[in-house]
Amino acid sequence: MTVSVNEFIPETANTLIEEVMERSGQNLLSCYQCRRCAAGCPVAEETGYVTPDRLIRMIMLGDYENALNNPLVWKCVSCYTCGTRCPNGIHTARITETMKKLAKENHLQPERLKVVNFHGTFINSGIRWGRVNEMEFMGLYELKNTFPDINQFNFKPVIEELKTQARLAKAMLKKKRLHFGFELVKGRREIKKLYKKIKKLRKKL
Amino acid sequence: MEMAYYPGCTLHASSSLYDVQIRLIFEKLGINLKEIDDWNCCGATSAGKVDDFLAVAMPARNIGIAEAAGFSEVMIPCSSCYSRTLVAKHHLIDNPALKEQINEELSGKIQGHIKVSSILEVLLARVASGDIDEITGKKLKGLKPVCYYGCLQTRFPYNVPVPDDVENPQGMETILKVIGVKALDWSYKTDCCGASASINDEDTAMNLMARIMKDAVARGANCMVVTCPMCQLNMDVYQDKFCEAHNIAERLPVFFITELIGLAMDISLSELQVDRHFIDGVALLKGLDPA
Repeated sequence: MTVSVNEFIPETANTLIEEVMERSGQNLLSCYQCRRCAAGCPVAEETGYVTPDRLIRMIMLGDYENALNNPLVWKCVSCYTCGTRCPNGIHTARITETMKKLAKENHLQPERLKVVNFHGTFINSGIRWGRVNEMEFMGLYELKNTFPDINQFNFKPVIEELKTQARLAKAMLKKKRLHFGFELVKGRREIKKLYKKIKKLRKKL
Repeated sequence: MEMAYYPGCTLHASSSLYDVQIRLIFEKLGINLKEIDDWNCCGATSAGKVDDFLAVAMPARNIGIAEAAGFSEVMIPCSSCYSRTLVAKHHLIDNPALKEQINEELSGKIQGHIKVSSILEVLLARVASGDIDEITGKKLKGLKPVCYYGCLQTRFPYNVPVPDDVENPQGMETILKVIGVKALDWSYKTDCCGASASINDEDTAMNLMARIMKDAVARGANCMVVTCPMCQLNMDVYQDKFCEAHNIAERLPVFFITELIGLAMDISLSELQVDRHFIDGVALLKGLDPA
């Protein structure tokens, strides 16, 4: 008997592919597994079995859990190489970006929490003040990263992380590339209001 | 002539030297850059991973302000800001309902007709008109750069007009040729430096950057030239680190293209703030034989 590496889960196949196609704007059904994406992927060495084409396959088969939590979703650097080379114009990086959001909405523990912390903190800073102030953003990001350890009284990794970042900050300071000013956008409420409105609309759906 | 200018967060902070250089060379070119009033963060590469609505709405507000002020072109030097803004513009053109919805809350309303240009597009137009050749008296002999474009100058996650060849862009090479610099051909000009992975997934980013560096060294380059502040910061700040981790002995200064153009325009190294690189570039530029 042969054993398939991919699992087909009929109950979730339709809903998963529909949701991913709609949200990513990509036509996953047109993938014919030529693997040009896999050949060009710069992080393929580090994602093991999961290449862009195989992620698409997992989604088609309804393998919810693996499609949401695999190395490619979290290692993808959104360089868009796969998408520009795909003969069918499928941007798999838009799919990994969609999976990141879906994982969060489904409260799944991500493979790389730091990635989630980074992008979440970045956007929060950008919306809160209108611009990203690097010092404030990095401070909050590190706080988020170290919080689980601090909470467990596990200070060694916290100290190591802070040391690394302090070294970087010191070097940046020496090259006058650390910026102490704080920038605030007067019209930042416009984006906040829009975001509030859209979130309300989504809840109704 | 006047042109709208969107510096983005990083040009007001860690890469403010790029902002300084841009203002200096554009003044010499007779282009009056007008910073978009009260601009906000474009969402960069993060917005698409957090919320797709924000990925359009954040750059949309800047487009609206620039258009309401009557500008027909906006120059965006940072690749990430450029890519986000261009993609957002085309999203809004293709989706009038979304445009309407966003316009409801904006004080500067979006039309969607402004030309979103990278710094290369603007400079290339000045190469074509002969302006750059006329102003740059100095030719820079002795530089052997590789031009590093990174991802977001030519690859977009949406159907937009692409300004250069996707896999083998030539914009920087064309500009450098005018100031007497012959850039080397190489294979990693559009490979990814990892962008924010240098902070949230270090090993991956170091691998990516080491590969780029190895090819540059193998081709005999003595420096790198970039337009993206994220590529510049990564390749410069982390160079010692990824070179040590991947047994690379050489080090290459990573210049913004504006530094070399500025030098050819006879702007001093101190005015251009070249001393703010991690890998020293001052010695190389001082040693050039002005011809």
